[in-house]
Amino acid sequence: MSDLESRLLAAHACGDRAALVTLYSAAAEDAAEDEARYFYLTQAYVYALEDGHPQAPALRARLVAAGRESA
Amino acid sequence: MIAKMTDLSDVRRPIDKANGLPNAHYTDETVFAEEGQALLARQWAGLAVAAEVPEVGDAKPISFLGMPLLLLRDRAGQVRVFQNICRHRGMILVSEPHRIEGAIRCPYHSWCYGTDGRLVSTPHVGGPGQNTHEGIDKSTLGLVEVRNHVWRDVVWINISGDAAPFEEVHADLIARWAEFDQPLYHGGMDSAFDLEVHCNWKLAVENYCESYHLPWVHPGLNSYSRLEDHYHIEAPDRFSGQGTRVYRQFTSADGGRFPDFDGLSEAWDTAAEYISVFPNVLLGVHRDHAFAILLQPAATDRTVEQVHLYYATPETDADLRAANAALWKTVFEEDIFVVEGMQAGRRAPGFDGGRFSPAMDGPTHLFHDWVAARIEAHRGTAQAAE
Repeated sequence: MSDLESRLLAAHACGDRAALVTLYSAAAEDAAEDEARYFYLTQAYVYALEDGHPQAPALRARLVAAGRESA
Repeated sequence: MIAKMTDLSDVRRPIDKANGLPNAHYTDETVFAEEGQALLARQWAGLAVAAEVPEVGDAKPISFLGMPLLLLRDRAGQVRVFQNICRHRGMILVSEPHRIEGAIRCPYHSWCYGTDGRLVSTPHVGGPGQNTHEGIDKSTLGLVEVRNHVWRDVVWINISGDAAPFEEVHADLIARWAEFDQPLYHGGMDSAFDLEVHCNWKLAVENYCESYHLPWVHPGLNSYSRLEDHYHIEAPDRFSGQGTRVYRQFTSADGGRFPDFDGLSEAWDTAAEYISVFPNVLLGVHRDHAFAILLQPAATDRTVEQVHLYYATPETDADLRAANAALWKTVFEEDIFVVEGMQAGRRAPGFDGGRFSPAMDGPTHLFHDWVAARIEAHRGTAQAAE
């Protein structure tokens, strides 16, 4: 298990939404293919949305630009 | 489907010839379900108080008549009531009271809703990383809102959605207490308590609205508030209750008192009123404090009484507040053996519902007549639909 996966599981276990936003965003940056990238970006966006996180609008904008979220 | 029929014709007679509601209205599961529709879902029923969600984003799941509801305060500060289920798979959205920081995320597949009920995201709905699908129109899939209205901090809901507007239904009560139409400040944690009683919710309404029992059940009131100091409050088809002309302000040992509500007329110096607002809210007003009791029907023979005390100013003396809450709790607890005793009495075969005192039971009969009229109307609607 990669370090990122371990940290994601730990963040899930304790419900640390801010960490989930950061870690899923990092996973998106590391992804080699679009499907995986936008999967992780979606995960980051949803936790940002739930958290009222300041990154939520930017994450949404990236998904919208990629045709992955409605405008 | 029409519930098992009960004969309500005796209930609807004039008080001197009327009988109370038949036993089945206190003991029968089918009638309980019928009343849930006729008396609660189709009327303006009390669900909660707005003080239970004081801050923006505060959310509280509440089960009412078995329905999962969500009380919350949206980003604009407005109190809202929604069905507490996701529009995707019907999953319960919020299981514990908490503050929504951003969106309401369904714990199952993470569909997200704004505090205004809008569906704002459907992650992976079109496949991994694809959050849209032509078959999913988010604008039509917001949370289902339950019609609600806040008055005297009580959150009233009309589940059927087709009752006349609250201000219209209760225009006369709103006018009666217009002088009290000013900010109410909940006393906080020490001014709220629940009483779980083993009786049908209607018995709590019936006991609250009449003064006939006061000298026997609340002898402590006799020293200054005798039976003859009370008067009936009777608004057919709306509410009933009792008033006193000799209210004395609650005073601590060192003479401390609560501040009065602003600008009350002289009559309220010594008057207080206690009104059962049909179906399930019991209200009280005094010059210096008020209260609301919400009756949550849990079963045919079980009711949770949720009591909330309010004051005229945001800050009041904590010791005085605690003492006042303790006083009222004692009074309301004195009523428990009565409502539970009447509930047990409804197991007597052939009990005819009882006879009313034409002089003293007007408010109670008025409530029974309201119940009977609403059930007859509901049965008429159900029959027409079949």
